[in-house]
Amino acid sequence: MKPVAFDYERPQDIAGALALAGRADVAVKFLAGGQSLGPMLNLRLAQPDLLVDLTGIAELKQVGETTDALEIGACITHADIEDGRVPDVTNGALAAVAHGIAYRAVRNRGTIGGSLAHADPAADWVTFLAAIGAGVVIRGSGGRRVVPVEEFMTGVFETVLAPNDLVTAIRIPRFSADARWGYYKACRKTGEFAYASAAVLHDPTRSVNRAVIGAVEARPIVLADAGELFGRRTGADIAASFVPQVAMRAMDTAGFKNPIEQKVHAVALRRAVEQACAR
Amino acid sequence: MTPLRLTVNGEHIAEPVEPRTHLADFLRDSLNLTATHLRCEQGVCGACTILVDGEPVRSCITYAVQYENAEIMTLEGLEHDPVMAALRRAFSAEHALQCGYCTPGMLVTSRDIVLRLPDADEARVRVELSGNLCRCTGYEGIVRAVGRVLAERRAGTLAVSAPQPRRIGPIGSRRAVATASPVPSAPAADRAASGRPAEAETELGLGGRQPNFEIRRSFVAARPPDEVWAFFGQIERVVPCLPGAALVGPADGERIQGRMTVKLGPITTDFSGEARLARDETQRRGTISGAGRDRLSGSRAAADVDYHLVPAEGGMTRVDIVVRALLAGALAQFGRSGIVDDLATRLTDMFAQNLERSLSGPTPEHGAAAPAPFKAGAMLRAVFAARLRSVINRIVGRPHE
Ligand SMILES: Cc1cc2nc3c(=O)[nH]c(=O)nc-3n(C[C@H](O)[C@H](O)[C@H](O)COP(=O)(O)OP(=O)(O)OC[C@H]3O[C@@H](n4cnc5c(N)ncnc54)[C@H](O)[C@@H]3O)c2cc1C
Ligand code: FES
Ligand code: FES
Repeated sequence: MKPVAFDYERPQDIAGALALAGRADVAVKFLAGGQSLGPMLNLRLAQPDLLVDLTGIAELKQVGETTDALEIGACITHADIEDGRVPDVTNGALAAVAHGIAYRAVRNRGTIGGSLAHADPAADWVTFLAAIGAGVVIRGSGGRRVVPVEEFMTGVFETVLAPNDLVTAIRIPRFSADARWGYYKACRKTGEFAYASAAVLHDPTRSVNRAVIGAVEARPIVLADAGELFGRRTGADIAASFVPQVAMRAMDTAGFKNPIEQKVHAVALRRAVEQACAR
Repeated sequence: MTPLRLTVNGEHIAEPVEPRTHLADFLRDSLNLTATHLRCEQGVCGACTILVDGEPVRSCITYAVQYENAEIMTLEGLEHDPVMAALRRAFSAEHALQCGYCTPGMLVTSRDIVLRLPDADEARVRVELSGNLCRCTGYEGIVRAVGRVLAERRAGTLAVSAPQPRRIGPIGSRRAVATASPVPSAPAADRAASGRPAEAETELGLGGRQPNFEIRRSFVAARPPDEVWAFFGQIERVVPCLPGAALVGPADGERIQGRMTVKLGPITTDFSGEARLARDETQRRGTISGAGRDRLSGSRAAADVDYHLVPAEGGMTRVDIVVRALLAGALAQFGRSGIVDDLATRLTDMFAQNLERSLSGPTPEHGAAAPAPFKAGAMLRAVFAARLRSVINRIVGRPHE
């Protein structure tokens, strides 16, 4: 199984990558860990003329910290996060989610930026980062901008990125010490893409109460104010007040209507809430 | 060819390589290191797992050029590695292999477990091994073998060297060095020109084969059945209703030739094919049986589209459409059927919607040889999707919320 012939460039810096991506004469694709693009190239589902490898750019492998957020470079891998080579501002959430992605050999190459840019609706970062209100830092011809993860993905494999826009970092908000989070991924086999997923973040100190239903073959369904899910209660026992109908309604509104799938996703959400309470 | 320097099993290698050559092919074909096995070439099975900078990676879904200056280690280079020696003994003692096809990848993954997770229990070992598929053993022996070596490590009878500090970022990726930028060729045009033309499919339609998806849709057109029936007879008006589709040349009696382009994220398809039309005037039923091939991925598709017109109240016509299709090749093999189902369903919905509009108004642009590709993803953009859903609900008669 061989991809079609392509050219390969490995720029040193972001400016170099953007210059290459701006070429109008050839079809250009960025390449990060290659763990999603590689299979598509091998199957000839993607046939770019030029691959621009981002992993030689030091800036994309750096971490920046401010008082209220952490910026993780786009080319930092799932394994880097799993192993704690990135500081933890989420009470262990990111490391736990990273650990559940694919298999170690894939996590050793696959990147957080590539995962979001690929925009597979069943991907773990797509769901979880939307739940915690993370932002995508983008650089392109129009300068630098930050887009909330929930608005970044527009559909299956589609994002707000223009062809020569580069994801440079992911901005992770710092959780309060008493923040509770939960993430549940339903899959038949360990390390597979989810057939249903859900995440919650209950951070009363920052007045954050968010829930997300993911793996809906479209952009994730975000409940930016998830208070109603718990009958407007807060604290350690919100799972006892979980109202599945609120989740069902959100799925209805989003056009995700298959009753069996709705039920499976509502169960995933309940389990995520239970996890949050157990922490 | 791109010049490449790296280290394989401790030996410095400098060799030009085609960028599309994946690391496993480079090792097997250029360096004759055939201990690394290849099976799925999609990253799923783990047979090709090797060590790069001391950590396991798949060698089938990354390309040799990505590993400039990296240190590659295959089974051939691990002969005297103490952990690998202990694993070989344990695999043999515990019957952890039968045909041996998965074994190179299993050994590399097992070595990582022993070094990285000395306290792993059986459940953890199973989780960590889940990215390596074995068709023979049922995993029992493999899990026991890893457990045996872990026990040796905990008992202190296995010498283990301290782990190397690890660079952040994808394993094997170094900081890029400035190079005089080569002049990249522009293969796009040549490739398009060399693309094979549509092969004449021997069989049009399903011909008794089982479809892998089926979609049914009904809508009511505000026109009398005679008129709708006549419309369906004008294939050059019907085809443009399918997003991304166009006829190639005029219809030749019952045979038509067409093209269809769909774009979904990084995937672009460009199907060309042929279809045969059959109509039964008395029953007001028709069938379009088609087959096509995607020039880009080599995927094949065959479909039967049945339509049936039924008089409805107020002199209108209900149109029942059944699409049964069979997709084979890379597109069908790729990933999860949900995405293909979803795409096919949305295409059918758009088709029904365009038909309805076309029946009650002028034809959308028709007959163009190169249709605008159907951008499946763009269609999902929130606002438009919501609007579309209400249209579909109207067409298929689902109640409004
Ligand atoms: C067997 C297997 C199982 C998997 N299971 C899971 C799973 O359970 N859950 C999960 O979430 N994922 C899973 N994955 C996918 C994995 O997480 C990938 O690492 C990830 O989706 C893509 O990251 P990457 O760095 O490899 O990106 P690449 O494959 O290199 O790129 C993916 C896409 O993103 C674009 N891109 C990459 N980086 C950038 C950037 N910085 N800016 C703009 N565009 C960019 C590329 O052009 C390409 O279109 C699995 C993969 C495999 C092979
Ligand atoms: S051959 Fe590489 S994972 Fe299957
Ligand atoms: S021993 Fe045959 S596949 Fe594992």
